[in-house]
Amino acid sequence: MSSRRLRWLAVVVAGALALAAGIYFGQRHLGGDGAGRDGGPLLAIALPDTDGKEQPLGQWKGKVLVVNFWATWCAPCREEMPEFVRIQAEMAPKGLQFVGIAVDQADKVKQFAAEIKLNYPALIGGYGAMELSKTLGNSLMALPFTVILDRSGRVVHTQLGPLREERLRAIVAQLI
Amino acid sequence: MACYRFSSGSPPRPEVPEGPRRRRAPALLAALALAAAPLALGQPRLLEPERAFALSVRALDERTVEARFAIADGYYLYRDKLRFTVEPGALAAPPQLPPGKIKHDEFFGTVETYRGPLPVRLALGKAAPGQAVTIVAESQGCADVGVCYPPSVQRVTLTLPATGAGPGPVVEAAPAKKSWFK
Repeated sequence: MSSRRLRWLAVVVAGALALAAGIYFGQRHLGGDGAGRDGGPLLAIALPDTDGKEQPLGQWKGKVLVVNFWATWCAPCREEMPEFVRIQAEMAPKGLQFVGIAVDQADKVKQFAAEIKLNYPALIGGYGAMELSKTLGNSLMALPFTVILDRSGRVVHTQLGPLREERLRAIVAQLI
Repeated sequence: MACYRFSSGSPPRPEVPEGPRRRRAPALLAALALAAAPLALGQPRLLEPERAFALSVRALDERTVEARFAIADGYYLYRDKLRFTVEPGALAAPPQLPPGKIKHDEFFGTVETYRGPLPVRLALGKAAPGQAVTIVAESQGCADVGVCYPPSVQRVTLTLPATGAGPGPVVEAAPAKKSWFK
């Protein structure tokens, strides 16, 4: 076998090994792969708000819904929320609704919500909600994780990690 | 008389067998494409938390254990979210945590974080030479790409060495279950 052929073989073997290693180490990517999923199970749940009142998510069906899983202990989550507050204020009249599901304690959530003048519901999800996010593509159950549903309740976009304002606006613009 | 050919165009091709050369380029491209696809899509890779914050333990003697987080590049752990317990029994003293990096958090104020290797010395309440003990370590951290993991618990069982036998082997945590779910 010529040395060139050997080198070619080495490239293929290295590529296959890299691929296998990637799979073996269970790496996940940011972004989302939950689009096209049925948002029904998400819309079927009810979670307490910071005052302990149960809020069924189904009450927002028919709106373009942005469900953001977050926590106060997640700095990247807190960083993107003021942007959500702005977009909520701007686009609520057009039928956009943000809903935050916090994997956190109610008192901390309440405190942070007051700090940033949160203008959309902050529900307390706990770990059950994280399991639900897993079925929507959040396999690492990490935060922030955001799910965008169209008016019919179909999942249009899921995002693990920060959802940049430009991207969010572009997606929502198609649905409003 | 020798006849020299003067090329006005491209230099003469080196004498390379054509076959492998032609096949190698697509293979190389394919391998590159595979490797670069996530980058091209702007999607950095994320490790499972038990790999981003891999835990191993080693008995230093019959009543002292060193727990060590190997924190992957681009990831960090929060100091105030670290919890260590030992089963059975209890720790004799609070874990000895090295100083972390102090940073200001708008909501929590001053927070301390760790990167790289994080060794933590644990003093067991009772010497138990030759006994198996389980170190339970809870941690919570984030990745620089802007993702935080929920608190996760890793457990490692090790056998304490006999008195005077010196440090035991390094024991890696088994792939962790997400036990914060229970």
